[in-house]
Amino acid sequence: MRGATSAKWVAGAVVVAMAATACGTGKDDSGSSAGGSITVVLGEPQHGLVGQNTAESEGAEVLNALFTGLVQYDNKTNETQLAVAESIDTTDSQTWTIKLKDGYTFHNGDKVDAQSFVRAWNWGANQDNAAEGLPFFAKIEGSDELAPGKDKKPTATELKGLKVVDEKTFTVKLKAPFSQFKTMLGYNAFYPLPKAFDADPKKFGEAPIGNGAFQMDGVWEHNKQIKVKRYDKYPAEGRAKLQGVTFKIYDNLDTAYNDLRADTLQIVDKLPVSAMASVSQEFGDRYIYKPESGVGYIGLPLKTNPEAFGKVEIRKAISMAIDRDAITKTIFNGTRKPADDFINPLIPGYRKGALGEVGTYNPTKAKELYTQAGGIPGNKIELGYNADGGHKEWIEAVANQLKANLGIEVTAKPFTKFGDMLTELGDQKYKGAFRMAWSMDYPAAENYLRPIFSKVAIDNGSNYGAYVNEEFETLLDQADKTADPAEALKLYQQADDVIIKDLPYIPVFTYMSSSAYSKSVKNVEIDAQGRMDLAKVERN
Amino acid sequence: MGRYLIRRLIQAIPVLIGATFLIYWLAFKLPGDPIQALAGEKKADPLVAAMLREKYHLDESFLAQYWHYITNLAQGNFGETLTGRSVWDKITEAFPYTVNLALLAFAIEAVVGVLAGIMAALRRGRFLDQLVLLSTLLVISVPVFVTGFVLQLSLGVKLKTDFGFDFFPVSFNEADGIRAYLLPALVLASTSLAYVARLTRTSLMETMRADYVRTATAKGLPRSRVVGRHALRNALIPIVTFLGADLGSLMGGAVITEKIFNIHGIGGLLAESVYRKEGTVIVGVVSLLIIVYLVANLAVDMLYAVLDPRIRYA
Repeated sequence: MRGATSAKWVAGAVVVAMAATACGTGKDDSGSSAGGSITVVLGEPQHGLVGQNTAESEGAEVLNALFTGLVQYDNKTNETQLAVAESIDTTDSQTWTIKLKDGYTFHNGDKVDAQSFVRAWNWGANQDNAAEGLPFFAKIEGSDELAPGKDKKPTATELKGLKVVDEKTFTVKLKAPFSQFKTMLGYNAFYPLPKAFDADPKKFGEAPIGNGAFQMDGVWEHNKQIKVKRYDKYPAEGRAKLQGVTFKIYDNLDTAYNDLRADTLQIVDKLPVSAMASVSQEFGDRYIYKPESGVGYIGLPLKTNPEAFGKVEIRKAISMAIDRDAITKTIFNGTRKPADDFINPLIPGYRKGALGEVGTYNPTKAKELYTQAGGIPGNKIELGYNADGGHKEWIEAVANQLKANLGIEVTAKPFTKFGDMLTELGDQKYKGAFRMAWSMDYPAAENYLRPIFSKVAIDNGSNYGAYVNEEFETLLDQADKTADPAEALKLYQQADDVIIKDLPYIPVFTYMSSSAYSKSVKNVEIDAQGRMDLAKVERN
Repeated sequence: MGRYLIRRLIQAIPVLIGATFLIYWLAFKLPGDPIQALAGEKKADPLVAAMLREKYHLDESFLAQYWHYITNLAQGNFGETLTGRSVWDKITEAFPYTVNLALLAFAIEAVVGVLAGIMAALRRGRFLDQLVLLSTLLVISVPVFVTGFVLQLSLGVKLKTDFGFDFFPVSFNEADGIRAYLLPALVLASTSLAYVARLTRTSLMETMRADYVRTATAKGLPRSRVVGRHALRNALIPIVTFLGADLGSLMGGAVITEKIFNIHGIGGLLAESVYRKEGTVIVGVVSLLIIVYLVANLAVDMLYAVLDPRIRYA
């Protein structure tokens, strides 16, 4: 049943793609003649619209329309493609030479030059600006001088590792080789900024001057809407078809969905849970259902509670006692898929079924392993989750499955917010298992490994179990140093194999994104981050 | 009367100051780390988090934080949210929507509620009375979010898609003018309206039995004058009290209605700020609501004297 719907969607996508190419060859300069305006859903962005200070999806959605980065990702394969960059070259994965294309301009007419990237990155890396994107610049040489730590003053205002060669070329020197640097550059923290930004960053965030396919139409009307219009001087091949887009701000997805049904809203890229049962019938081909970059885990506090979770057999037993199919089908209505690798299926480097035996439901074997390993002291564990995000049902299902299959006494323990649970884990006050999730910053296998399972991620990332494995670290370092992408990917996969063997967290499911659009638009595509590709959208 | 008014206004000042302190303390005591909450499901970068804590004085004691807040406030500065927006801007953006919505709801509830109550009271036990009793019971027993979603789906979506009748917008849109407020105001007013109708009915029925009403009727006054001038004026006192208090809750307690119809008003702002532990916003909004309550109560007390000349203030 599920296979059938996704096959239908793939077929639909091919037709759409063919129609799009046919359109493209038919009328050459359709960019300026086509038009129409649409309204799409948005939640109020958290910060002013500056790429370096945006780490949440709503701001990123608008920035994606207003800015174009050095690289971008293919909507279907997630391969990295050059965008503003003409070339990004390196011989040692440590010094990178970036050349820019001609033809990209900011919406105020300024050229997108090397300086506009250097300006943006220097601003983001400076701790005085407390930008959310700051950690992304930590790999660049000289970042410590701009971010020496609290109670210290930055000793420089420019990253030593960035050198402008000429108007169209700059070089980046990293502290250590990092083969995935190019892939990382599509993240919004690496977007360029025009000179006008310097005058008043705060004001800029209310009506940013970007280099993307759309430009601001007025200023951000808080809690109401953000209007953008087509930027006609954008390079022809990527120029927007629509005349304008209004991001209407909602704080309730049910209302947005009702607006979509009445066609007052044309695209909704996050559907409410209440719609899941009927949306495919109601919207048919206009319902988009595709994998999203998130992974959901059961986290285990290896360091603070080694008595319970220290043995790998116990972790394997827990993993094999979880019926992933039942959870994704009955509880999530198919909005999640069973996880079979630590790396998300969207990402180049994902291997189907990589988890192998430990990812397969096998209560008999699980019980065997559990008993052989001597069980958990007291035969009792807690399973923590945040009560504000719709996690209760699946966590309780996992608890029940562990109870039934392993005979452990499992208590589902709610925390008010995710942050509260993280704080208690960080302070080592909470010693139970916990729900955990990760969603990528950029589509690289590396992004599913280092930020969650490496040593540095204990303090600066999501390694809440404080898992450490030297072999894993070495493989990551080797992969970082390898200039050949295929070779590097192999090493990352080997690192993946290490954690599959160790199971520091237990992957349970990966996320699916569901979106729908009204009859009055076509060519709607959603990227891996769940954002709308608005430049391609057309009105019927 | 004038002196009474001034005294009441002066009394309001310590109430307000005490309330800000109390609310600030409650907001401070809310569980959770607002800086981690900004980062959502990922771990906040330790350095960025530390810089933000320093900037917004979150690493200081409660009294120090309150002192920062109150000294800023004394200079007319309502402070900043943790994401760098001016709290005053946030409040002034949300307030007009709330005022419009609350006033319209208030008008609907007062006019329709009182009229329905009067008609029911004057036709006690008859069909109209039964109808009012039954329909108000229905409205009171159905939760607001059900009424809201049902009306939104039937009048907003179905009416447009099935009959092409596009009068009620699904969600709020400023360009639609008063039309945009109609459905939400009706939903918001519905429960209070039912209470007002029932209260009016009971209160009026009671006064109709009073001696002075019998006297008025015996004097040969026309029925409209007996009801309008003699009975109703007295019967209205409890209703005015209810309405006065209700105006305040219409302003601050419209969270659910605002959410259903996507109106970004004060109620939603307050709920969000509590969730995000944004102390400065919470105190700003609550102080404003306290002022609304104080003014509404004062207005009610003044109205008593108008309705019942025996009541005097000094």
